[in-house]
Amino acid sequence: MNFDDKIPIYYQIKEYIYRQIITGKLEPGEKIPAVRQLAVDLTVNVNTIQRALSELVTEKMIESKRGRGNFVTEDINKVKELKGKLIMEQLKQMYDSLRKLNVSDQEILDYVSQYINKQERDQK
Amino acid sequence: MTNSIEIKNLNYRKNMKPILSNVNLTIASGKIVGLLGENGAGKTTLMRLIAGVAKGYQGQISVVDESKIAAKKAIVSFSEQLSGFNQNMKIERIVRFYEDVYPDFSEDKYNQMAGFLQINEDQKLSQLSKGMREKLIIGLALSRRAKVYLLDEPFGGIDSMSRKKIINSIIRWKPDNATILVSDHYVSEIASVLDEIVIIKDKTVFAQKSTEEIREKFGEGIEEYYEKVYEGTELHD
Repeated sequence: MNFDDKIPIYYQIKEYIYRQIITGKLEPGEKIPAVRQLAVDLTVNVNTIQRALSELVTEKMIESKRGRGNFVTEDINKVKELKGKLIMEQLKQMYDSLRKLNVSDQEILDYVSQYINKQERDQK
Repeated sequence: MTNSIEIKNLNYRKNMKPILSNVNLTIASGKIVGLLGENGAGKTTLMRLIAGVAKGYQGQISVVDESKIAAKKAIVSFSEQLSGFNQNMKIERIVRFYEDVYPDFSEDKYNQMAGFLQINEDQKLSQLSKGMREKLIIGLALSRRAKVYLLDEPFGGIDSMSRKKIINSIIRWKPDNATILVSDHYVSEIASVLDEIVIIKDKTVFAQKSTEEIREKFGEGIEEYYEKVYEGTELHD
């Protein structure tokens, strides 16, 4: 994984795990790889992984079971909530940059539906 | 958290010339710290002093509360450049030498690392490429069960695959509470692995900062921060 060196690494690790959970690469209740393994896989410091994981535990996205490791939450609503949050974040970015171009709300809606239609046609 | 390296008011001269002046440095245990500075800034000298190889300094250097040289040598693993060995010596014999000299040398750990780094023990020292030689140096240094590892410029002039493997070995085989000090004059590739950076400039510790703090507070990359500090354009402390 390539990190942006201007953004705290623990934050990028959290984002990475969020994405794993949302896309189902890590399923509800699934065990998360050991800290050292994650550090090796992502080429980061063990301490940084620990910081990211402990924040995820605080957020209740993962559950730490003593002596057994860390597990993705089994609470499906929690995963849905996370997905909604990430979607809103992406939308906000898009919305803000379009509004800066003086594109109206209605135009944004029209363009988005045009874009989706085009994507569907192209895939056929 | 306990401290693994504590240096107070260190002054060191060589042939009457000051090499390091008024160095104060504290490093907590368990961290991976990048020691940065230009060539000739004094990075190697500082490591030699911490390791107890260079003598005749003023001030105080303690490693995990030990300040006696013999005690320091037993808990510090310093990556040696293998220049003292006959270049015709086979790697196998160098490994045996390490086993004999260092009671904390773990053959098991060495074998795992040698497999991962693809070190061929039948080769002679003179036959090794720069990258392979560096892998061997790091493999030997990390095979000791030490409290502090001092890795002196392991990435200088080697190919990126070897570099990646060395970085990987550092993450994989660093004991939990051990501290690693790794020197380099180029930081990008190891930035994601470092807890802190220590910048040596003007013969002293010019700055010491947490890498995550640099990213979080200043929104800067580590290389960028380092360059600015070095050029004197970075004013925030």
